[in-house]
Amino acid sequence: MPEITYLEAIRQALWEEMKRDERVFIIGEDIGRYGGAFGVTHGMLDEFGPERIRETPISEPTIIAAAIGAALVGMRPVAEIMFMDFTLLTLDQIANQAAKMHYMFGGKATVPMVIRMPSGSGTGAAAQHSQSLETLLMHLPGLKVIVPSTPYDAKGLLLTAIRDPNPVCFIEHKLLYKSKGDVPEGEYSLPFGVADVKRTGKDLTVVTNGMMLTKTLNVVNKLTGEGMDIEVIDPRTLVPLDRETIINSVCKTGKLLVIHEACYTAGWAGEIIATVTGSRAFDYLDAPARRLTGKDCPIPYNRGLERAAVPQEEDIEAEIRSILQGVY
Amino acid sequence: MPVPFIMPKVDMDQEKATIVSWNRHNGDFVKQEETVLVVETEKVAIDVTAPATGTLAGIRFQPGDVVPVTTVIAYILKEGETLKDLPAAATAQATPAPAPLPAPQAPVQPSPVSAVAATPIAARMAREYNLDLAQVPAAGERITREDVERYLASRSTPARVPAPAAIPGQAPAGKIAATPAARRLAREQDVPLEGLKGSGPRGRIQAADVVALPRPVLAAPGERQAQVFPLAGMRQKIADRMQASFQDSPHISLTVEADVTRLEEARQHMNTLAARAGQGKVSLTACLVKVIAWALERNPYLNASLVDGQIFLWKDVNIGVATALEDGLIVPVIQGVGGLSIRQIADKLVDLSTRARENKLTLSDVQRGTFTVSNLGMFGIRQFRAVINPPESAILAVGAVVRKPVVVDEQDTIAVRPILSLTLAADHRVIDGVVAARFLADLVEGIEFPETLLY
Repeated sequence: MPEITYLEAIRQALWEEMKRDERVFIIGEDIGRYGGAFGVTHGMLDEFGPERIRETPISEPTIIAAAIGAALVGMRPVAEIMFMDFTLLTLDQIANQAAKMHYMFGGKATVPMVIRMPSGSGTGAAAQHSQSLETLLMHLPGLKVIVPSTPYDAKGLLLTAIRDPNPVCFIEHKLLYKSKGDVPEGEYSLPFGVADVKRTGKDLTVVTNGMMLTKTLNVVNKLTGEGMDIEVIDPRTLVPLDRETIINSVCKTGKLLVIHEACYTAGWAGEIIATVTGSRAFDYLDAPARRLTGKDCPIPYNRGLERAAVPQEEDIEAEIRSILQGVY
Repeated sequence: MPVPFIMPKVDMDQEKATIVSWNRHNGDFVKQEETVLVVETEKVAIDVTAPATGTLAGIRFQPGDVVPVTTVIAYILKEGETLKDLPAAATAQATPAPAPLPAPQAPVQPSPVSAVAATPIAARMAREYNLDLAQVPAAGERITREDVERYLASRSTPARVPAPAAIPGQAPAGKIAATPAARRLAREQDVPLEGLKGSGPRGRIQAADVVALPRPVLAAPGERQAQVFPLAGMRQKIADRMQASFQDSPHISLTVEADVTRLEEARQHMNTLAARAGQGKVSLTACLVKVIAWALERNPYLNASLVDGQIFLWKDVNIGVATALEDGLIVPVIQGVGGLSIRQIADKLVDLSTRARENKLTLSDVQRGTFTVSNLGMFGIRQFRAVINPPESAILAVGAVVRKPVVVDEQDTIAVRPILSLTLAADHRVIDGVVAARFLADLVEGIEFPETLLY
């Protein structure tokens, strides 16, 4: 299986789906000759032409509204928002139109569209270009929220997203674009609502995704050498959420830690913890369910402060140790 | 306005009390803080003092009545006041006297928020002090903090203690801190959580603590049945230490017998003194500890530790007394025995063994021992050998005092005497047989002729 980057995996999925289905097109800013802010659509203009690689003015509401309209009349748009932060400009289009139409028209109209959006900090892009806003989108019924953490998942989940009859938010962490992994050539799809147990263990369940998954796995590999046996679960899709896998895991380990880069207050870690404590797993908890998250602050531009604002490997290690040692 | 006299709440978990007797009666003049009646909770009898100075009036309950705490039981009238001066709300309560428990509870206490106008601070204070706001006299239109403070100051002492706020991070009194998993396991295995020791943060019971409990093991047919205990906690510690001791120290043991006639006489006399002074009795162990300390001072190698190739002859004599617990053994140490009187040793022994059984010993109570005494005499054991308590070098096993015939003089006269058997186990790396024998000889001399210690 060839090893390619996360970015290439996304491009492969787009490329293959556009080859397969002429209704699929891409719309966004600087996605043509420039190849997109992160280079995802590099080379696609030459292959597919300006009709299907549609560049727009700097107006996110236009991108989303045009995509919704196209979807309603049978196209399969993939909209690219250059930074997830700008999604906020389009919340009316996304929340009040795209998310609700299928329901409000009793299924007579559907909005099969994908909105790709790079998220997260770590690039020195400061407070307006570094947010992790997935929880906002999770709170809007009608939307699916996908957070792929590996190249393999990115390709398989994007294919599923493009073929889904409803709007899908596809959140890509900026720092993952250059990460590498084995990705099959040709098409394969990964189902929504199925978590991936990255490694099994019996001492602690850690639920995390995106860049935090990479960090967590580094820490867990180190701690495994010290005899700690940690289970790591990547939900892969936050909506729909594979609650059962998480509940089963906590029933086995008795301890839960949820890690995300998004801010603490009302972050989705609370959703996972409430899911667990409200389930039969409650009776298996042998420690308080804990969360490690980004701080409740804008992401700072200063490099040191930017690091401090979101969990780093040393924070993850300290938190896992304190849970397993019963010190909290 | 008449001051309401309420049934005080003296225990955290107290809900009611029984009136035992009224020392004062309607119409009597009482002074604030003067005892007016005696009540009885489930635990103790308590003198209840007057909340204010004035005339006792409107007694509503009689001896034998069981009254919920904070119920008004009477009023104190100031000069010129009568029961008619009670505010309307209270009058309904004042007359007629409600039937005591267990008949339907008469004083339906209005909820402080709805029935009585009070400032938020006053309402909060009322909650904290467990007050019925209806009973707090208000100076103005609504009850203020000053009113509550005045009311509190006027109340009898025991009730003034605020309801203890929950200590952050600790389970409220009466609740058992246990994880959900521990609770489930306890439920499934039908074992109570009460009394279980928790290994989690702040003593919380973890799943592992329940798993560690012995439980019947379902054996396949024909297989042997057994209760299975994991070796853990104190048991593990004892196992490790005793194993190490027997492995590291070549034990030699020597036994002597001592006639305790005169020591017992001395003890009897001391107990007469103790009774006269209202003090606790002096045990034989306390007397022995004193003599042992004296003998140890004369035989420093018995008061020694061999650590990392060096022999430490300790200057202080700290004698540990092996104390049996329900589930193990602990050796609290009497520090600096040399400087203590038998009286002080006896008191320390009682204190240490009590706290040992209540699991309240601190680290300093079990550290720095230089010698250990183990007494199984109370079980009728005549003689036994003990295992040295490392890093100490010797331990004395004390048997029962047995009355038996012994030769008491040069003429081979036989008499019945109380005889005590003492067996010393010593670490031969530090202590030779002769050294151990000299120590025992001194010990016997000190026991048989207690005045030797004064010489």
